[in-house]
Amino acid sequence: MSYFIDLVIVGLSLGMVYALVAIGISLIYSGLDVVHFAHGEIYMLGAFIGLIIHNVFKLPFPLVLIGSMVVTGLIGVVIERVFYRRILRGGGGYTVAGMAMVICGFGMSIVLQNVAFLIFGARALPFPVTFGMPIELGNVTLPASYAWIVIAAIVLMLSLHLFLTKTRLGLAVRAVAGNKEIAYLMGINVPLAISVIFGVACALGAAAGVLVGPINYVQVQMGVGVLIKAFAAAVVGGFGSLPGAVLGGLLVGVTESLGAGYLSGSYKDIYAFILMIIVLMVRPAGLLGVISKVKA
Amino acid sequence: MTTGDAAPMLAATDVVGGYGKVQILNGVTLRVPRGQIAALLGGNGTGKSTMLKALSGLIKPWSGSIVFDGDRIDGMRPDLIVRRGLVQVTQGKEAYPAMTVEENLLLGAHVKPDRATRARGLERSYGYFPILKERRRQLTGTLSGGQLQMLCIARGLMSEPKMMLLDEPSAALAPQVVLDIFRAIGRICGDGMTLLLVEQNVRMALLLAEYGYVIKDGVIHIEGPAAQMIDDDAVRMSYLGGTVADRDQKMAL
Repeated sequence: MSYFIDLVIVGLSLGMVYALVAIGISLIYSGLDVVHFAHGEIYMLGAFIGLIIHNVFKLPFPLVLIGSMVVTGLIGVVIERVFYRRILRGGGGYTVAGMAMVICGFGMSIVLQNVAFLIFGARALPFPVTFGMPIELGNVTLPASYAWIVIAAIVLMLSLHLFLTKTRLGLAVRAVAGNKEIAYLMGINVPLAISVIFGVACALGAAAGVLVGPINYVQVQMGVGVLIKAFAAAVVGGFGSLPGAVLGGLLVGVTESLGAGYLSGSYKDIYAFILMIIVLMVRPAGLLGVISKVKA
Repeated sequence: MTTGDAAPMLAATDVVGGYGKVQILNGVTLRVPRGQIAALLGGNGTGKSTMLKALSGLIKPWSGSIVFDGDRIDGMRPDLIVRRGLVQVTQGKEAYPAMTVEENLLLGAHVKPDRATRARGLERSYGYFPILKERRRQLTGTLSGGQLQMLCIARGLMSEPKMMLLDEPSAALAPQVVLDIFRAIGRICGDGMTLLLVEQNVRMALLLAEYGYVIKDGVIHIEGPAAQMIDDDAVRMSYLGGTVADRDQKMAL
């Protein structure tokens, strides 16, 4: 029984990481109508930037996390302004019809990976953070890094929720995600709101990377696997839905952990997709998705 | 027209524009005096909605000028036009259904960050439409068509604009509800607002407005004081559209 609980806890903390990346993908999708395939690389960049802040400034872990989120968020804004926005404009506005954005996301993913390769090299680097003693819960012993992931992710998700529901800018962001023309008529600076959406999404991706860093190595290709899992999570929960991204992330994490623990660890990457296929067969719009919200 | 001397609140001159390469507006000229209601009438596909988009900044006119409260606004970004005090009231169906009534209203006050102004705006909106106060915590998707239209008008008032552009406030509503909405619009104008009413419901619009414009094929086809237009058969014919039968009927008149 304690083995089962162990697996669930590991799955939940892993799921939180997927959820953070999936929230970013969903935010960008609802805000820009872009399926952002380069989000795994944002996660990877976040981890590297966190590592640099950690090694150079010797700051405590929470500050490393916040620092990496800020820097990666700003990098995201620059990427959106300089590259994506031109393509959006080519499509005649802020909504993309066609494949340009999908292909552009793939291209950005390859470019960012190779830029990171040039700067950081191909070696997997350790992220030496000490979190102190493992936490004992009854007869389950939990490494403190997992508790960190869960707590930090919950704090970030609650902050995002409060931002979106309680602040003027958050309300504007939701309006832009809902309908850009009407948001304009409300007096909202739509291009600015889109930058905010992209920056927040990238900051959350970076947070996921920094949180995973200490339990994994940091390396250039770390984003690829996570991106695919986060996509599975977003699809399971319902693409574009933020609560759906969280639910999907947790389900994918737990499924993967239980599958690896009871069936076979060498096939651990398959379980998330089996889950995704089953969910899509039963509920094509995802668990919390709304079918009517079809984007152009 | 009683307004020859004072500068109008809104003056559009020879506005030409469209989407992509398709020209829809072929030189629209209209003016709305301060504190009055003007009506822009026309059926589907006459350029009415395109003109509205040009006025609110959603499309840039290709040529011509739009002057609001003494300043050129043509080609300006829509949010900056709202900041100057010209607000488009959307149709009821364009309220955000997944937000509460109060969130929708606060969205209308986006350009007014100051807490006191926002609270005052809510009071004013609830004053015109008490039903919205009862429903303020409900999701907007649960409102009736008439309540949605009230919400959109109230949302327009939230930024304390100088002038509002109303996009077919009578669309898809029962006659009794239309009457309620138009009474409220009349009260809002009575309290000092300048309005341009874009409508298909010619009779109701002309009963409320001081001056009317009929748009057809992207130009102003007929204009005049509302009281005269309301009995004018040509207005009715022109509004009914350009079918051959109508044209024949008009010849016969």
